[in-house]
Amino acid sequence: MLALESVSMNFGGVAALSDVTLAVAEGETLGLVGPNGAGKTTLFNLISGVFPPSSGRIAFAGRPLGRAANWKRARQGIGRTFQIPQPLHELTVRENLTVAQRFGAGKRDEARLDEILELLDLADKQHVDAAHGLALTEQKALEVGKALAVEPRLLMLDEVLGGLETSAKRAFGGTLMTVKERFGLTMIVIEHDIETIRTLCPRAVVLNFGRIIADGTPEAVFRDPEVVRSYTGDAAA
Amino acid sequence: MRAAPRTPLVLAVLLLAYVAVPLAFGGQDYVMSLIIAALTIGGIAVAWALLGNLGGLVSFGHAAFFGVGAYVSALLTLDAGWPVLPAMLAGGLGAAVASVATLPALRLRGPYFALAILAYAHIFKILAVEFESVTGGAGGLLSIPGFPTVLGLELGSKVGAYCLILTIVLAWMAVYAAIRGSTWGLALRAMHDSELATRVVGVPSTHLKALMLLVSAFMTGVIGAFNAHQISFLDPDYAFSGEWTVLPIAAAIFGGYRTVWGPVIGALAVYLVDQLVFKELMPSGHQLIFGLLLGAMILWSPQGLLPLISRLGLRSGEGGDKEGKPGARA
Repeated sequence: MLALESVSMNFGGVAALSDVTLAVAEGETLGLVGPNGAGKTTLFNLISGVFPPSSGRIAFAGRPLGRAANWKRARQGIGRTFQIPQPLHELTVRENLTVAQRFGAGKRDEARLDEILELLDLADKQHVDAAHGLALTEQKALEVGKALAVEPRLLMLDEVLGGLETSAKRAFGGTLMTVKERFGLTMIVIEHDIETIRTLCPRAVVLNFGRIIADGTPEAVFRDPEVVRSYTGDAAA
Repeated sequence: MRAAPRTPLVLAVLLLAYVAVPLAFGGQDYVMSLIIAALTIGGIAVAWALLGNLGGLVSFGHAAFFGVGAYVSALLTLDAGWPVLPAMLAGGLGAAVASVATLPALRLRGPYFALAILAYAHIFKILAVEFESVTGGAGGLLSIPGFPTVLGLELGSKVGAYCLILTIVLAWMAVYAAIRGSTWGLALRAMHDSELATRVVGVPSTHLKALMLLVSAFMTGVIGAFNAHQISFLDPDYAFSGEWTVLPIAAAIFGGYRTVWGPVIGALAVYLVDQLVFKELMPSGHQLIFGLLLGAMILWSPQGLLPLISRLGLRSGEGGDKEGKPGARA
């Protein structure tokens, strides 16, 4: 489904990602973890086309993405959320989804929008001003809703559970599992909470200083000494 | 709470505009000329507001599109023998084509775009001066054909010209409203504060902005063409004058550029009050009074006159709703 080959990204003299090679299979749910500044969001930005990589290749569904613009990648089936929710301003919740569906999926399907709103528990809020009328959990749900309205094959969730209370996190995690099954998605989940990764993702990849330092089951990678060191520092390892 | 149906209000305004105004002022050429001038400014203000509100682009260069539309239409009628009305549409197309030259400026944001497009306006003016063999140079064009008679209505008369510019302005308002009410309009409105978020859900934001620039240029070009045939004279200083940029911006801001009616109401209020009242009170420097009023409006009601009236009306009436909020869409 997704293949990154020797992808690097430099911002001036800073290497945000170095020689990252990664493959994600169709239907897989991959957890992407690592300390702050490890390059997780940069990886999402490269895949979704916010900016092109300094070097390396990214292919989606067997086709190289090249320098395709981010809006074209959305139309190819790559959906994403942002760590800080970015509702479409001046629009209601439903209008947010409408724009995403009409432009991203290229169609009008009100029934699907109804279903997305129900699944994400936003049906009662669909006519609310998206930028000013939602609680944090609802803002996060709207992020997911916009991405789903695009009808993606790959859904990339950037700390979509971050900042939520434990009970809300658990409930929303369950919703994400339902969504994945219902729409047959491949997912990449950036998350700091190890328990969440264990629950949602059969496979986890750990980034540190822009490099992949571990790749395997959550149980295996979180026992990896280099991963422990990356979180706790050398002295504690 | 839903806003009250607007159809009766719109019909009343149309009746007033097409019947009452000609009946009341048809014999007063001076007043009709002022109303025509105000609508000319209003038409550009609608085009400017469309680009500003939907494209998210503040333009200081609409004089360029006004001037190009005026020249294209004038030259087609003078040199190629085109009928005036098709030539006016061609003037709009000419302005839209000219706006293609400004597309690289779309890579710029905020004041940088505004200044870049201002530079384009100066470039077009220089071209009009330098291409003397075509444009008549600094001396301009004389004896530009006037409007024909259509269905018995002499468009060359003050009342006829008024009906023509009124129809054009109403058509532009309808285009503005239609785009704003469409899915494209939703995406365009959303782009202002969240362009990246719109792009990652598939919105080709740069393409949409470019399209709004073309539409806005077309609208302004047709207005410029109208003006050329109405006054029958054209020179670069007049056609590309900064007034064709400044007055519409002031009108749109004064009336409320985020509403469909605001730019036109603003143009009528600004120009007519300035010419009929302030000019009488202060023949020299009367624009200062308007400047103060505009400043007060920006401080008191940054969304403009129409949203202010809407808010005051709702406050004294049944209470507030979405239409009364700042930035509301009328």
